[in-house]
Amino acid sequence: MALLRTRIRAAAAAILIAAGVLGGRYAVAAPTAPQVEAVFLFYFSQFVDWPPTAFADGRAPIVIGVLGDDPFGGALDQAVAGEQVNGRPVVVRRYKSIADATGCQILYISSSEAPQLAQIMSALKGRDVLTVSDLDHFVQSGGMVRFILVDQHVRLLINPQAAQAAGLKLSSKLLRAAAGSGAG
Amino acid sequence: MMLLVTSGAVLALTCAAFILYQYQSYRALARHNVQTLGGVIASNSTAALAFDNASDETDVLAALHAEGRVTQAAVYDTKGELFAHYPAAAQPNAFPQYPGRDGVRFDTGALVYYLPVRQGGNSRLGTLYLRWDLTSLHREIALYALIAAGMTAIAMLIAYILGRSLQQQISTPIQTLGRAALFVSEKGDYSVRAPKLGNDELGALTDAFNHMLDQLTDDIEERKAFGTRLQRQLSRLDLLHRITRAVGERQDLQSIFQVVIRHLEEDVQVDFGAICLYEPHEEILTVASVGAHSRGTAQELALMESARVPVDRNGLSRCVRGELVYEPDIGASKYPFPSTLARGGLRALVVAPLRAESRVFGVLVAARREAESFSSGDCEFLRQLSEHVALAAHQAQLYDALQRAYQELRQSQEAVVQQERLRALGQMASGVAHDINNAISPIALYTESMLEREQGLSERARNYLTTIQTAIHDVARTVSRMREFYRPQEGRAALARIDLDPVIRGVLELTQARWRDLPQERGAVIELQTDFVRPAAAILGAENEIRDALTNLIFNAVDAMAEGGTLSVRTKRALRQEKRDAAGAGQSNSALDAAAAEGPVEVICLEVSDTGAGMDAETRRRCLEPFFTTKGERGTGMGLAMVYGMAQRHRAELEIDSAPGKGTTVRVVFPSASEAADEAGGRQLALGLPVRPMRILIVDDDPLIIESLRETLRGDAHRVTAADGGQAGIDAFAAAQANGEPFELVITDLGMPYVDGRRVSAAIKSASPHTPVVLLTGWGQRLTAENQVPPHVDRVLNKPPRLKELRAALAELGRSA
Repeated sequence: MALLRTRIRAAAAAILIAAGVLGGRYAVAAPTAPQVEAVFLFYFSQFVDWPPTAFADGRAPIVIGVLGDDPFGGALDQAVAGEQVNGRPVVVRRYKSIADATGCQILYISSSEAPQLAQIMSALKGRDVLTVSDLDHFVQSGGMVRFILVDQHVRLLINPQAAQAAGLKLSSKLLRAAAGSGAG
Repeated sequence: MMLLVTSGAVLALTCAAFILYQYQSYRALARHNVQTLGGVIASNSTAALAFDNASDETDVLAALHAEGRVTQAAVYDTKGELFAHYPAAAQPNAFPQYPGRDGVRFDTGALVYYLPVRQGGNSRLGTLYLRWDLTSLHREIALYALIAAGMTAIAMLIAYILGRSLQQQISTPIQTLGRAALFVSEKGDYSVRAPKLGNDELGALTDAFNHMLDQLTDDIEERKAFGTRLQRQLSRLDLLHRITRAVGERQDLQSIFQVVIRHLEEDVQVDFGAICLYEPHEEILTVASVGAHSRGTAQELALMESARVPVDRNGLSRCVRGELVYEPDIGASKYPFPSTLARGGLRALVVAPLRAESRVFGVLVAARREAESFSSGDCEFLRQLSEHVALAAHQAQLYDALQRAYQELRQSQEAVVQQERLRALGQMASGVAHDINNAISPIALYTESMLEREQGLSERARNYLTTIQTAIHDVARTVSRMREFYRPQEGRAALARIDLDPVIRGVLELTQARWRDLPQERGAVIELQTDFVRPAAAILGAENEIRDALTNLIFNAVDAMAEGGTLSVRTKRALRQEKRDAAGAGQSNSALDAAAAEGPVEVICLEVSDTGAGMDAETRRRCLEPFFTTKGERGTGMGLAMVYGMAQRHRAELEIDSAPGKGTTVRVVFPSASEAADEAGGRQLALGLPVRPMRILIVDDDPLIIESLRETLRGDAHRVTAADGGQAGIDAFAAAQANGEPFELVITDLGMPYVDGRRVSAAIKSASPHTPVVLLTGWGQRLTAENQVPPHVDRVLNKPPRLKELRAALAELGRSA
């Protein structure tokens, strides 16, 4: 949380500097969608229970993978820096191809991977990885969580069945917080 | 009322404690509730916060609607910005702008809870704010307080009502008791009693209170009575003390008795007070003193001083045995003394014994007109008083006796001193006389023998010798008087009947130069008055002595009148009773002893008076002492002493009246001649008897006397041998006896060294019992007077020896021998 705050503060400072450059006007800019999404990615680690087989051992880190182009800039790294969830460190890994994407618990599939989505989804079939993406029809394609923008707010679209099929337990609170969950 | 307030306070306190407890437990409960509720809400808010779903959060908070006491709830994100709130309709500015510190705390009227929102143990997602309204609690507490106050009020009301009704039963009697106690303590009136209002415990208390008052009253009465008794006792003691002191200041019985009776009458209010003295042998009481106020009664009853009251069998006899007798009522007494008093209107009688050394010597009589009016205290007082009086009276008697004894002792001491002084003087005079007699003995003997034997003497020589003889004779007589003025009896032989008038006239004539001429030269005039009794007074006496005495008296009188005055000489005739105890006892000796028993005797007074300086007491006391003089060098101090000696020898009294400035009268009181036995005459001298010549031994230690005696005796044709000492005399006598020529008579001196006249005469009588011994002595008259004539002496002759006497003695003794 401190992380988010720090991060937002850093962004705000940048914006303040820009505003000052732009004519001395004091303006507060809302965080951008990718920034929010980066934070959301980190938070998933708290509301999802992975089966024990998902980790090599009790101390293995929770790995957040980014497949394709990273839209977050440094925001995701900032979001996880120094954090631990349920006793595990959280790390970010970036993959070029699905084949590389092994050993992660949360996998963000970048919009750049839209063409290989089907291949990716099939590759991930049966793996206990929480899949997250901005892509349209991601949920219909067998994805678990999709970020959607509603009234300038990042909202979640969740496919619990997919998660359940993958052996993941999503917190009911996550489900309740997600707007239109299950609606796809 | 107190009870009421106390119970109200207790009740109020209890309620307050209860309310406080309720309040505290409610707060604790509220705290617990808000924490529980907060936990639930926070847990449900995590995802909404994490994924920025405010509407979801609003839904979660809306669930708080079920808990009406939560008035506000809000969730803040990690930036501290309000994220969602409840009630959703409320304005955001109704909520705290920023979340407060984590924890529960009480705000005004509410419990405020800030708690962190986290998913599991992970990092903080935001803050939940809850506001738990406590207004209801306060309302509740207020209600409780109201109920408690109401309850208290009701309870107090009930208590008051109950109290009122109980007070009727309890307070009234207690107040009554209190009023009674107050009255008693304020007024000191112990006769008040509290009314009894019931038979319960309070009734018993009232009874106890009244009983206590009864006892207090009794106690106080008793104490008052005791105090009165004590007071009376004290005043009696004080009175006793005063009387004792007053009595102690007095020494004579009469005034002691008067003081006691006066106090009895004035301080003890007796109507009759008297003290009687008891005569045990006669069984009689003599009234010694009667009180001033009792005199009327005493006169009426014939009980004045020195009235005699027989000791009757009743009270008085018991009293004189030492008992105090109290007759409460003598009105009907049949015994004489009480009935006598009863006649005087007296009814109560106390008779107290006066006892000293366990002997009753009197009684104290006190009586009052009212019957039974002597208390036991009075009797005790009288008893003690009588003891004190008895003691004081006894002491007064002792004191009196002591005074008398002391007086007698002083007088006898004075007499002894006087006698001793005169005796010493007499001894001295006697010694002087002895020596003078020895010294003049040869003169007397030679003169006498010359006048007798020397026929060829011229007329002139004969006259001279006669004068010498007279002078020697006078010397001898003077010496004899000087020596013997203290020995009255010795002069008796010389007394002869004398008519005083011519003697007095002669003396006045002879002393005229002294009483008339000499004073006139100084310009002083002494007038002479004479007054002679008729018929003319005659006494038995020695004329020369009387002449000398009178001369001395006249000289004294003249000397006392340096400025002139009147000299009176008179004779009187009077009758005198024997007066042994008169002031002049010491000096007067026993002048009238012989006549004493036969009543008054006739006396002749020879009086010499002057109007001169007089004598003070000291001079008066010492004037008769030899050598005492007031005239300095001019006086010898022998004048009055010789007058005194003369008076003693004449069995006369010497009286001296004198006071400073009042002149002096000296009176010589002679027994009159008709009264005094005519003892004059004495031994008739054996004059004219022929003396046969004898062998005479003279023993003397004085050669002059030996010589003169030898000459004289030889002149009478005696053969005389002399021995110059006692032993020599004895030896000479023995030698003469051995030679067959014994002495026919021995004349020996009395006083000689080693062997005196007594031993000489004893030796001679033992050797030759029939040889007469004549003792020649300067002490001769003393020896005769004291009957000390030694046993072996046939005759005592005085020095200086008179030839006539010597011849008479020799003639008598020579004849018998």
